[in-house]
Amino acid sequence: MNINPSTALRDKCAIVGIGNSRLGKVPGVSSLDLLVEAMVNALDDAGLKTSDIDGLICRGPDDAYGHHQLIGARLGINANISTTMDNGGASQILSIAMAVMAIEAGLATTVLCGFGRDAWSRTHVSEEARVRNETRPDSQRAQEFGPEYGYFGAVAAHAFGAQRHMHLYGTTRDHFAEIAIAFREHALRNPQAQMKKPLTKADYDAARLIVAPFGLFDCSLRSDAAGAVIVTSKARAKDLKQPPVPIKGFGSFNNLRGWFQDDNMVVTAAKQSGETAYKMAGLGPQDVDTAQIYDCFTYMVLTQLEDYGFCKKGEGGDFVASGALKMGGRLPTNTSGGQLSESHCEGMLQIVEGARQMRHTYAAERQVKDAEIALISGHGGNQVCHSTLILGRA
Amino acid sequence: MSDSSAAAAKPQKPVPRPSPESAPYWEAAAQHKLRVQKCNACGQHWFPPSYRCPHCTAADFTWAEVSGKGKVFSFVVFHRVYHPAFEGDVPYVVALVELAEGPRLLTNIVGISPDDVRCEMPVKVTFDDVASGVAVPKFTPA
Repeated sequence: MNINPSTALRDKCAIVGIGNSRLGKVPGVSSLDLLVEAMVNALDDAGLKTSDIDGLICRGPDDAYGHHQLIGARLGINANISTTMDNGGASQILSIAMAVMAIEAGLATTVLCGFGRDAWSRTHVSEEARVRNETRPDSQRAQEFGPEYGYFGAVAAHAFGAQRHMHLYGTTRDHFAEIAIAFREHALRNPQAQMKKPLTKADYDAARLIVAPFGLFDCSLRSDAAGAVIVTSKARAKDLKQPPVPIKGFGSFNNLRGWFQDDNMVVTAAKQSGETAYKMAGLGPQDVDTAQIYDCFTYMVLTQLEDYGFCKKGEGGDFVASGALKMGGRLPTNTSGGQLSESHCEGMLQIVEGARQMRHTYAAERQVKDAEIALISGHGGNQVCHSTLILGRA
Repeated sequence: MSDSSAAAAKPQKPVPRPSPESAPYWEAAAQHKLRVQKCNACGQHWFPPSYRCPHCTAADFTWAEVSGKGKVFSFVVFHRVYHPAFEGDVPYVVALVELAEGPRLLTNIVGISPDDVRCEMPVKVTFDDVASGVAVPKFTPA
């Protein structure tokens, strides 16, 4: 179906508050308290009080029923619009899209969005939890067509796509290594990043295989982490503490037929989601100066770069090998280290970093020079849900 | 711990727990037959099981025996042990096999070294009797 994304929404709203919690290993702090920490930091950043907030759209671990109510109770917020998202790692951008739509519909003026989880703590409460590497409750896991074959976890699900891409296009693990190493270099410039040591190609090659073709450094981190942003109208933003980061466009697409159907594991929903966001923003891939891509696994960055049009389908390997993703490259990507090296927060920290880049407040070594446009992606929900956010310079 | 209690504690591989929708699939598998749903309205096969055809939404279907022939659409090799019952199996192959009739099934590729498995490789079904009255379809090079 042809859709007609509203160009009238372009630049109507802005991100005016940005916050994150402590990142990485934060034992003894629940996912809810991590998110509250990030949200309080975002409020302080914006110079707003909880009483200024009239929209709350958030998400936490899959077993936190009524999550937005739990967060609202902790912050003492009543809201005109409030809900918990259910779009996997694509939820976080979708919550910002919903905030814009709610503001433009007159349902809210100032919307607090965020995500937090305690995945490091959950997977390290016991040896069994660490081995299972599973943060979902038993009731949400498959009972057939998987476990009897020894098929478990998100690593394997995404590795299917990597293998198929390698078969079709000659992509190699050397290409995946380029992504892991670039993001690690970025993490070393970020004092909050979970990973502190340099990563060499030799380290990548020597690491144990997890589910081939993925080895250890193809996989994102288990992190305790939360992030939050505040969205308001551009008119209201003028009176606030920070220079507003304009929301230029957003998009969404969902390959609900499934990751294993059609060509979805090599041409992701980033394609249609990106086309929608580009149309709303009146921009194309050539206009994007920095990307913050949902990097649950190295391969997912490579295929999304293709799907967003930064290179042709099948040429992602050459694109990443050119050094494009590094600071100073064509498209500095995941400039805080991403989920592979900063902390895994289901895409929320990608939004935080994209917005901070657009404020141009970083020291030179972390700042993408002269960046005017940031593209941010969200991916998840059994690999089929996708969302895109395009931000402009504050 | 005595030998017998150690044996009793040995971890078991998960046995499929059928849903009402999938029960006919597993009943056929127990008899070493591979059956998937075929739509009586549009003629297409589908998997995993559901009460309506995902191609045309008709609720009129037959559990049709299929050829058991297909090809590897993609595959992964488990090196990490996620479940203790698979400790002796690593590295093992989990594959997505596209049946000649169209549907794709998650399965294991057996009878071949993981190093030799390739996308698009032709395969055929074989059945692994994993418990009394329970057989799991797996695939082997054709």
